[in-house]
Amino acid sequence: MIELIVAVLRTATPMIYVAMAGVLAQRAGIWNLGLEGLMITGACAGVVLTEQTGSVAAGLAGAVLFSVLLSALLWLVIEKLRANPIIAGLGLTGLGLGGTDLAVQAVYGSEGAVTAPVGIPTLGPAFGQFGLLDVLILAMPFMVFALWVLLRRTRFGLRLAACGEHPFAARSVGADPARMRLIALLLGGMLAGLGGAELSLGGLQIFSVGMTAGRGFMAFAAVIFGAGHPVGATFAALFFALVEFMGIKAQLVFGERAPRDFVLMLPYLATVLGIWISARLRGGVPLNTIELRDG
Amino acid sequence: MTDRADRRWLVAKTGHITRRGALATGGAAILGAAAAGLPIFGNAAFAAGKLVALVHTQAAGDNGPIDDMIVHLKALSKKDHFPIRTIYASDPSTYQSILSTLAGAGAGIIVTTFNEMADPIKAVAPKYPNTTFIQLYADPIKPAMPNVRTVEYQAHYGMFLAGLFGARVSQSRKLGYIGGMSLPGLNADLNAMKAGAAQVASSIPVKGAFAGSFQDPTKGREIANQLFGSGIDFIQTDGAATDAGVIRAASEGSNRIVSAVFRTQFKLGPKTVASSVLVNFGQSLTDQVTYALSSHFAGGHYVSNLADGIIDFVPSPLFMANGPKGYVERAKAAWPSVDAAKQAIIQGKLKVPFNTQL
Repeated sequence: MIELIVAVLRTATPMIYVAMAGVLAQRAGIWNLGLEGLMITGACAGVVLTEQTGSVAAGLAGAVLFSVLLSALLWLVIEKLRANPIIAGLGLTGLGLGGTDLAVQAVYGSEGAVTAPVGIPTLGPAFGQFGLLDVLILAMPFMVFALWVLLRRTRFGLRLAACGEHPFAARSVGADPARMRLIALLLGGMLAGLGGAELSLGGLQIFSVGMTAGRGFMAFAAVIFGAGHPVGATFAALFFALVEFMGIKAQLVFGERAPRDFVLMLPYLATVLGIWISARLRGGVPLNTIELRDG
Repeated sequence: MTDRADRRWLVAKTGHITRRGALATGGAAILGAAAAGLPIFGNAAFAAGKLVALVHTQAAGDNGPIDDMIVHLKALSKKDHFPIRTIYASDPSTYQSILSTLAGAGAGIIVTTFNEMADPIKAVAPKYPNTTFIQLYADPIKPAMPNVRTVEYQAHYGMFLAGLFGARVSQSRKLGYIGGMSLPGLNADLNAMKAGAAQVASSIPVKGAFAGSFQDPTKGREIANQLFGSGIDFIQTDGAATDAGVIRAASEGSNRIVSAVFRTQFKLGPKTVASSVLVNFGQSLTDQVTYALSSHFAGGHYVSNLADGIIDFVPSPLFMANGPKGYVERAKAAWPSVDAAKQAIIQGKLKVPFNTQL
């Protein structure tokens, strides 16, 4: 049981941080499909800067910085250049995946995966299997709670929701939707950067090209599955991690008798099913073009 | 003054260059250079030397085959003085056009990787008889083409030795295998490892799992943790960049030993990576390109195995110096039997079936 809890937390935490970035963007009225790009940028910057400086703090700061810069770029493209947010988000993902590949080639040539000398501090062997949990995993529930408070119990959160749902009405009471979106995307950039850094620096201490392997998109799915609510998205990400754990377990328990391709497909199948079920439970209507538009 | 005269006067007076002027100057420079025989771009550049291109379908930075090929190609280029290009072809729909473009531009040798390049080569090679195509990690092309050489790697022999070694090194007498994807070659590797373990004792189980990706170290780590958690203490990796996660998982507990698939992975786990199945892709590329550059080149199919040294199974010197004492001693004791099996395979006395069915 402890093994399951530790594994699920380690798998889900990077996705949860990134999903929170998606929640913030969704609240501001932006479907952020650039989460994968932000995540891999954070993962790459975290390891490269830690490797270059020897300091994990510098790595985390770099992960946050680069991810925030990309988020600012996304805001600029959407808000000032009037680009479609969906397309701009996908572009950001492409930029992140290709840019990190280019960066690693530029800094290290084709020497292989980048290894950081240190990782995010963990609890340590004194805590048994829980000792594998690092600071960002332990901070995750507090971060989710803080975000929930920010979005649901503060003036800023209410204004952000108003800007996302009814920008014209929000403008009429003095809120500036463009500014609110910028703040939401920058905050989200910070969290996505931390999520990426947790993926690469938390436990693995390695960055390899394309290592996010679709986890940014799964975080986006968690945002939808969780109805744009921080706690809902967190549970969705935990659910995806649980399914992944069970998929691995099924391979090991059933061995050759398990259809491997189907087992490997399980997390993605669960994502689709989860979104469908959550939409049914909420009495959701099919996505329309107005929802796809920014504002 | 006319407008043109005005502009010339302005340029002369201020030193500013008009756009038209810049284009005209640039064009003249390029034409001049081309006329003088300098390789600027396109055919002229390729014609300046016998271009050797490597079109790889797996990204560089894998700490494995692609990086090894690039390093060896660069070294060969420096030694034999020919120009090279390395191109990452990530989209299968572009394979054929990349090969056509390179061959059309006069590339002398095009090296490609993995089975997915078979059909594009079949389509392009007949149109460019002066270009030699080398496909590494390939099945034979039938009928054979005079300008195409396919290279097969019997890596499953190395996996057989890994199974044999693991069965002797493991204290729990339970082995694991983590592959990138369930592909025919990797399925054969898993079966060969089982056969190797069974050579020691038929009761030794080998549990296999696949990450579903060659670039997902996070999943590699989780699978490895579950395997180690189930009592397995020896895991053979077979998943390129995914392996880094497996090696990382080994460092998160005691009594966890890994066998890698590349020598560069030794340094990722000096206390845990005990050995490696080797497919020396880089050396193989060097051998095949050198052969293609020679006057006696002939197309066809070539099989690499333990005999030519491209496939091998070797111990990690780092592990032997830093690994847990008990495992190091067992590894040292196991090595004579591994060497004996290797010799038996090379001499044809021991056969390992290439079984792709799981």
